[in-house]
Amino acid sequence: MLNPLRSEAEAFRALVYVLVLFAVLIAAVLVIQAL
Amino acid sequence: MAAHAHAVGEHEHEHHGPPAAHQSSRVDPAVLGMLLFIISEIMIFGAFFTAYFFIRVVNHDPWPGPGFDLPKNIAAFNTCILVSSSFTIHFAQEALKKDNRLGLKVGMVCTFLLGLTFLFIQINEYWHLGIAAHETAQASIFYGLTGLHGAHVTIGLMLLAFVTIRSFRGHYSSGGYLGMEVPGIYWHFVDVMWIVVFFSVYII
Repeated sequence: MLNPLRSEAEAFRALVYVLVLFAVLIAAVLVIQAL
Repeated sequence: MAAHAHAVGEHEHEHHGPPAAHQSSRVDPAVLGMLLFIISEIMIFGAFFTAYFFIRVVNHDPWPGPGFDLPKNIAAFNTCILVSSSFTIHFAQEALKKDNRLGLKVGMVCTFLLGLTFLFIQINEYWHLGIAAHETAQASIFYGLTGLHGAHVTIGLMLLAFVTIRSFRGHYSSGGYLGMEVPGIYWHFVDVMWIVVFFSVYII
């Protein structure tokens, strides 16, 4: 299981997941605002 | 008597300083310390987010409010800079694991400069916003939330400076790099918090 507090590598992986999640959210919000 | 004095002397010789700290047999002390620290950080940010969502959700106040225009594009560019710095510190750490000291140094210098650029752009944004924190509730929350994050970036930059200097002095190796790993975890946390702040303040 991913534990971002265990190592820098795992924290980086968690960051990438958060980045992808928020990229999708931001894209969705911008599309909704444009409609 | 002499035996007692000898025993006391031997005891004093054996033990110095406070007793050894108790620790959990289940959780590693370093992980537990980081966990408690991150939890306290989330609570601090949570207080500021509560104020932000209170005026937007409960009060239905307009965001960012009258006379206050947020530079979304600059903030998006700044987000890319900060996220890039997480990639460079990860590159530095991976280079160290392969005993690539040049990669470590280049990665750390890039990380520090990217973090410094982020902070400079943030301060420049404050300079040109044209509204003071005391003028509206929205401005107070904007400066409070982004300023809190900026304070974390400043602390992170100090840690990065220490790591960069130490890497140039030949510290750390593929067998021992805890002094670099912990600031790395902190820096990724600062990046994650910024992504949330950016989404909340600039996008929605």
